[in-house]
Amino acid sequence: MTGSSTTPPHGPRQPRRLLVASSLIATMATGVLVLLGLLAVFADVVAPYDPLRQNLIEALQWPSSSHWLGTDDLGRDVLSRLIHGSRIAVIAAAEGTAIAVLLGVPLGLFIGYRGGWWDWIVMRIVEAIVSIPGIMVAIVIIAILGPGLHKAMIALGILYSTSFLRLARGVVLAEREEVYVRSARVIGASDSRILLRHILPNIAPPLIVQVTLTVGAVLLSEAGLSFIGLGVQPPDASWGTMLNSAAAFMDLNWFLAIPPGIAIIVTVLAVNLLGDVIRDSIGRGVAIAAKPEATPTHSGKPAPAAVAEPVVLPRLKNEVLRVENLEVMVGSGAGLPIITDLSFSIAKGETLGLVGESGSGKTMTGLAVLGLMGAGLRTTHGSIVLNGRELRSLSQKQMEAVRGNEVAMVFQDPTTSLNPAFTVGSQIAEVLRSKQGLSQKQAWARTVELIDRVGIPRAEERARAYPHELSGGMAQRIAIARALSCNPSLLIADEPTTALDVTVQQEILDLFRDLQGEFGMAILFVTHDLAVAADICDRISVMYAGEMVEMAGVDTLFSAPLHPYTRGLLEAMPHASDRNPPLPTIRGSVPRPGSWPTGCRFSNRCDFRIKGCEQRIPLTGTDRLVRCIRADELALEAAQ
Amino acid sequence: MKRRIRDAILSMAIAAGFGLGVTAAHAEPEGTFKYAEQVKLITMDPQQQSGSGVPYLRPVYESLFERGTDGKPVPLLATGYEVDGLDVTIKLREGVSFSNGEAFNAEVAAANINRGVELAIVEGLKTVDGAEAVDEFTLRIKLKEPDPAIIDSLCHTGGMMLAPAAIADPALDRNPIGTGPYVYNKDESREGEVRVYTPNPTYWDKDKIGLARYEVWELPDDTARLNALKTGQIDAGNWLANPQSAIIDRTPGLKLVRGTGGLNYHVIISDREGTVVPAFADLNVRKAMAHAIDREAFGKAVQFGLAEKSFQPYGKGDWAYDPALEGIYEFDLDKAREFMARSEFSDGFTFDMPSIPIYQSRLEALAGFFNEIGITMNIVPQEPGTLARVSRTTNYPATNLVWATNTDPKFLALRYIYEDAAYNPFKAKPSEDLLNLAKEGLESVDTAIRAPIYQEMAARLAEEAFLIFVTNTPILIGVSEATANNPSVVYRFGEDSINLRGLKAND
Amino acid sequence: MLRLILQRLLALVPLLFIVSVLTFSFTSLLPSDPVDLILGDTGTEEQHEMLRERLGLNQPVHVRYMQWFGRAVQGDLGTSFFNSVSVMGAVMQRLPVTLSLTAVSAIIAIVVGVAAGIAAALRPRSWIDRFATLGATFGQAVPNFWFGLILAAIFAVNLRWFPATGFTPISDSPWDWLRSVILPSIALGTSSSAAIARQVRSAMVGVLQQDYIRAARAQGLSARRIVLKHALTNAMVPVVAVLSFQITVLLGGALVVEQVFAINGLGTLAIGAVRQQDIPMIQGLVLVMVALVVVVQLATDVIYGLLNPKARPS
Repeated sequence: MTGSSTTPPHGPRQPRRLLVASSLIATMATGVLVLLGLLAVFADVVAPYDPLRQNLIEALQWPSSSHWLGTDDLGRDVLSRLIHGSRIAVIAAAEGTAIAVLLGVPLGLFIGYRGGWWDWIVMRIVEAIVSIPGIMVAIVIIAILGPGLHKAMIALGILYSTSFLRLARGVVLAEREEVYVRSARVIGASDSRILLRHILPNIAPPLIVQVTLTVGAVLLSEAGLSFIGLGVQPPDASWGTMLNSAAAFMDLNWFLAIPPGIAIIVTVLAVNLLGDVIRDSIGRGVAIAAKPEATPTHSGKPAPAAVAEPVVLPRLKNEVLRVENLEVMVGSGAGLPIITDLSFSIAKGETLGLVGESGSGKTMTGLAVLGLMGAGLRTTHGSIVLNGRELRSLSQKQMEAVRGNEVAMVFQDPTTSLNPAFTVGSQIAEVLRSKQGLSQKQAWARTVELIDRVGIPRAEERARAYPHELSGGMAQRIAIARALSCNPSLLIADEPTTALDVTVQQEILDLFRDLQGEFGMAILFVTHDLAVAADICDRISVMYAGEMVEMAGVDTLFSAPLHPYTRGLLEAMPHASDRNPPLPTIRGSVPRPGSWPTGCRFSNRCDFRIKGCEQRIPLTGTDRLVRCIRADELALEAAQ
Repeated sequence: MKRRIRDAILSMAIAAGFGLGVTAAHAEPEGTFKYAEQVKLITMDPQQQSGSGVPYLRPVYESLFERGTDGKPVPLLATGYEVDGLDVTIKLREGVSFSNGEAFNAEVAAANINRGVELAIVEGLKTVDGAEAVDEFTLRIKLKEPDPAIIDSLCHTGGMMLAPAAIADPALDRNPIGTGPYVYNKDESREGEVRVYTPNPTYWDKDKIGLARYEVWELPDDTARLNALKTGQIDAGNWLANPQSAIIDRTPGLKLVRGTGGLNYHVIISDREGTVVPAFADLNVRKAMAHAIDREAFGKAVQFGLAEKSFQPYGKGDWAYDPALEGIYEFDLDKAREFMARSEFSDGFTFDMPSIPIYQSRLEALAGFFNEIGITMNIVPQEPGTLARVSRTTNYPATNLVWATNTDPKFLALRYIYEDAAYNPFKAKPSEDLLNLAKEGLESVDTAIRAPIYQEMAARLAEEAFLIFVTNTPILIGVSEATANNPSVVYRFGEDSINLRGLKAND
Repeated sequence: MLRLILQRLLALVPLLFIVSVLTFSFTSLLPSDPVDLILGDTGTEEQHEMLRERLGLNQPVHVRYMQWFGRAVQGDLGTSFFNSVSVMGAVMQRLPVTLSLTAVSAIIAIVVGVAAGIAAALRPRSWIDRFATLGATFGQAVPNFWFGLILAAIFAVNLRWFPATGFTPISDSPWDWLRSVILPSIALGTSSSAAIARQVRSAMVGVLQQDYIRAARAQGLSARRIVLKHALTNAMVPVVAVLSFQITVLLGGALVVEQVFAINGLGTLAIGAVRQQDIPMIQGLVLVMVALVVVVQLATDVIYGLLNPKARPS
C-alpha cells in the first residue's frame, strides 16, 4: 500500500560513484533475495526443527545454542518458523504480484485498445477502488472469499492490479498516437499488429519497476493482514502470524517480535532497493543522453599553475566594478578551471558586453560576481571589487546585503526567473520590504510605480497577475523592474533578450538604455548575439573557453577585430543586406573545461594557427586587449 | 413418580433484607465501580444470550433466584417455590416494579418464561413447556419432563425478568429494562467500549444500591484489560488462564481471585457421524485425538499453571465428580498413533476449527498435538463473542468451548447429547446408553441418587470420546488491591461477575 | 476558489455513486446467507422467512440497492445484522478515534517528511542527505504494526511514558488524548513520512535549480526566505498530490495499527464486521471511508490550487 507513490528520488549526482554504490546495493539486495528464495525452496532441509513441532515445556525461551532465536509460546523453534515463513513470503509475493499483473495488464491493454465505454466504465471502477484505503479493499474481498493465504493473495492481487491496469492502458494510449501517425505513411500493415509490436518493448521497463514496487507492497500487506488474523492462518508460520502471537506475549518475551520483524524489513528493503536501482538504470538511459556535460568529473588535467598574468587594465573614471585575475574552479580536490585570469572593469553609466559562444564562461562570470555559482563551483583566485569593496572577502550574510542593493541580475528566460507561485507585484514588493525595510503599503506603492516605469500599462492590475498570465516581454520588464527596485549600481543582464520575440527584443534593449540614462547604473551585458551587443554596449569583451580573448570599444571591435575568434563571430553574424550566401561558421565547438588545448585555447579551431600558438598566449594591449600572437598581422589584414 | 414437596422459603434471607432496610440509615449511593468484561457484548436480551457476557446484564436484570455463597439457589425476585411433579409453583416478590414503572407480577413473569421457551435459546428453559399466572404473585411453570435443575436455571438468564415494554421493543438488545438496582444509561455508554449503569430510582431494595455509577468496559484484548487494571482504569475484570492473568497473579498491587466453579475447556466433535469429516465417525480417531493432548504441558505453557488436567465434565469436589476417570486419556503419543493406525484414516485428515482470539493459543497448541498424529486442524478466526453461536451451526465439524463445572450435569444432555441438543448441530443420534442415563438423571433431585448416574454418563462420554476435555481452570477475576480489600465485593458463585446488590465503591 | 471546490464536488458525485454500487454488489456476493448467520441453525423455517422479509432479502438486488441508496443519501446506512445498532451511529462513534490517529500521524508524516526532505535537498550528497535517504528507504520497509509493537514495548511498557493500550477521547482530556495517540501515530506515520521525505527531496532539488530561485538569490533575499517561501511553496505542489494518497494510506494503516494498541476504531469495527459478515456494517464502513478520502482529496485539491496558480480556473 505504500511504495507505489515513490518517485525517482535523486537529483543529479556523480555517475561513477553512483554506479559503484548502486551495483553494490543491487548485489546485496539480490543476495538477500536469492538467499530468501533458497531458504524458501530448501526450508525443510535448512530448518533445524519442524516449524509446527511444539514443545510446551520449552515455551517462550530466549535464544540459546539449541534454539538460536529462542522458542515461541508453544515451544516451537523460532528460527525454523522464520525459515518456513520465508516460503510463505515468497509464495505470497509471487502469487499476489502474478495475479495483479495477469489481471491488470490484459485488462489495461484491452480497455486502452478498445477505448469508449469499456474504457470509461473500467476506469471509473478503478478510480473507485483506488479511493478506498487499500487494506479496506483487501478486507472486503477477504470478507467474500474468506481468510487464508491464497485468498488474501487474490485480494491483494485484485487490489494491486489497478496500478498495472493503469500502466498498461497508459502505454497503449501513448503508443496508439504514435502508431497512427506512422501507419499513415506505411500503408498496408494493420494498426493492431503495429500496436502490439510497439507495446511490448515499451511496457517492459515500467512494468518491471511496478513489479518491484508491488512485491514490496504485497509483502507488507500480507504481513499486515496475517497480523490482524485475516491472512495466513495459524499454526502455519508466516512472518505476520508470528508477529500476531508475539504481540500477545510482548510482556513475557519481547524478543519474539524481533526476528519476524527484521525478516520483513530486510526483505522489503532488498526488494525496494533493487527496485530503486532498476528504476534508476532504466531512467538513466534517458537522463544521461540528455545532458552529459552537467556533471563534469575531476578526472581532467590538474589545474594549470596559477601564475597570474599581470593586469593590464587601466583604472576607469567612476569605476563601479573591477575584476582582476578571476579564476573559477569546479569540482573537489585540485578542481578543474572553467574561468582563468579574467580581468575587466566597468564604470558608472557604462555597458560592457560579454560576448561568446555558449560554454565560454560568460554567464559564469556574471554569477561569480554575485557569488552565486552553485554547488561545486568556487572562485579560487583573483579579486572582485564592487564600489571599492572586495566581494570575495565578504561573508554569506554580507553578500546577501550586497545582492539586490548594489548589484542585481536579469536572467535569460523571464518566464522561469519569476516564481510561478506568487503574483509578480508581490515578488517586487518582497524585495523592497526585505532589502529596504519598506512597509507593506509603501512597498506596494513603489512596486506599482516601478512596473509603470518599465513601461507596463495598467500597472496596478498587472502587479496582481501571476507570471504565467504575462507575455514574455512583459515578464522580462517585471524582472527588470525587480532588479532595479533597490537602485543597484551594477546590473548584470544575462542574455535578457534571447528568449524573446525579435520585435520585443528591441523594446527591451531600449528600456535598458532608457533606464541606464535615468538610474545611471553600470551594466554587464552578457550575450552571444553580437548584433544585440553592438546595439547596447559601449565596450565589448569577447570570451572563449574561460578566458577573455579580446576587448575593445564597440566600434573598434566591429571594424577591426584582432582575434581570429572575434572575426569568426563577426563573420557568422547575419546581415540584413545579404542573406543569400550561407553563413560561414567557425568549425568545431568550444572545448569543454578539462579539454582545453595547452597553448592558445582557440588554436584547434583557428585558421591562423602557427607553431607559437602552442605556448600560453598572454593578453596584450592597454585600451584594447587581445590574446593572440598574430594579432598584429590580423590587424594589418583587417585594415586592408 | 414420587411426589416431593420442598419448602424453600428462606426466611433468613428475607429477614436480613427487610431488617437492614429498617435499621440501617439510608446511605446515598456514591462513587463508581468499573468492571472489565473479556467478551464483547452481543446482545442485552438475556433470552437471546448464548455465550458469556452476563456481567453486562446483571446490573439491569434480576433473576427469580440467585445462587448463594454456597452455590444453593436463594430467592431474589421470587420468595419461595414448590415443585409438584411437572408443576413448579413460584411465589413472587410483591411491590417490585420495573425501572420504567411497569409492575412486576405473575402475568409478566409468565410472559417472560414463555418468551424464553419460544426463543429456545436459553438452554435452562428447554425442559419448560410453558408458564401461567395462578394469581397476581403466583407463577406456575409446567415442565415437559422432570427437571431437578429448574431452579438452578432460574438463577441465570432463564430466570431474568424483562419489562413488558422491553420485550415489545425490537431494539431490546440495546435497551434493557429490568428490575435491577441499576438502569442502563444509553447516552453515556459507548458502543463497543463501555456500558454505563446508574442507580434505579424505583428499586425495591434501595439500600443495596451502593454506587452512583457502575461501568462495564468491553475490553476483549487481554493486554489492554491488564493495562487498564494496572493503571486503575478498571477496578476488576475477568480473565481466562493466559499470560496476562499469570502476570496479574505475580504483580504486586494486583490480585487474581480464583472464583468458585471451574471453566472446563473441551473440544466438541460435532460431526461425530462423519457428515462432513468422515474420520470423525471413527471412534479410533476420536480416541487418538484424546490421547494426543499433553494436558500437563498445556496447563503449564498455555494456561501458565493456572489449570489442571481434565477428563470429565465435572470438577474436583463436585457431587458428580468421579476420581476413577482421572487419567483415562493420559497423554500417550504411541497409543494415540496406534489408534490412528487402527482407524481407516491412518494417513491423516484435515478439519476446520472456529477460534476466537482468547482461544487462539489453546487451539494452536491443540493443532500442534493433533499434527503429531497426522491430523491437520485449520484454525478459522471468528468475531469475539460469536463462538457459541457458530458452534450451534453446521459451519464447523468441531468446536471448542468451556463447560462451567457448577452447571447441573443434566445440561450435558441438553447441550451435547440429545439429537436436538444446542451444540449438536449435525443432529447426531445419541447412543441408547447416554439417552437412558440422561433420562434417569432427571428422576430425582437428590444428588446422592443422581451422582452415580452422572458418573456413569461421564464414563460413557469418555468412551464415546466426542467430548474431549482438556483442562479445567477456576473462574479468574483480576482485581486491584483496593477491590481486594473492599468488604462489599462479593463474587457471584460460579459466575465471572461481582454481585451488585450491596456493592460499594473502593475507598 | 469557490468554483474549484464546486467543480470538484460535482466530480465526486459519480465516484461516490460508483463506490456505492461496487460495495453493494460486492457485499451481495458474500457466500453465506445472512439469515442463517443471524439465526444460526436455530429458528423455524417461519422465523427464517420473517427475518428474510424484515431484512428485505427476498427482494431482487437492484431493488435492495435502490432502497439502501435512498436511505444512504439521507445519512441512514441501515442497521447491523446482529444488533440494533445503527451503522451510521457505530461508524460515527468510532470515527473520531480513527480520525485522531490519521490526523496526528499525517501531521507527523508531513512535518518530519518535509523537514527531512528539505534538509536533504539543501545539501545533496552530504551526510544529512545520505542519512535522510537511508532513513526514508528504511522507513518504507518497516511494517507499521511491528513498529507499533516495538514502540509500545519501549516507551509504554518499559519507560511508562505513554499508555500501552487504549484511547482517550479529546473531549475527556486533550493531554491524555495526545498521550494515547502519539505512539500509534508515530508507528503509523513513519512510512508516510519516508515517502513524503523522498518526494520533498526530489521536488526540492528540482526547484532549487530553478531560475527563479537563482533570481531570488541574485536579488539578495535571505537563504531562509528563499528555501521556506520560494522553494517550498513550489516544491509542495507535487508533494500535495502525493499527500492525498498518503492520507488514504494512513487511514488504511490506522485500521491495522489500532489492533496493536487495542484501540477501538474503525479497524476493530471493520475486522469484526468482516468476521461476522455483517453486510450493512461493511457497506457503511466502505462508504464512509470513501467519503473521508474524498474530503481529503478535496482539501488537497484546494491546497494544490492555492500553491499552484496555474491550476486555478480563471
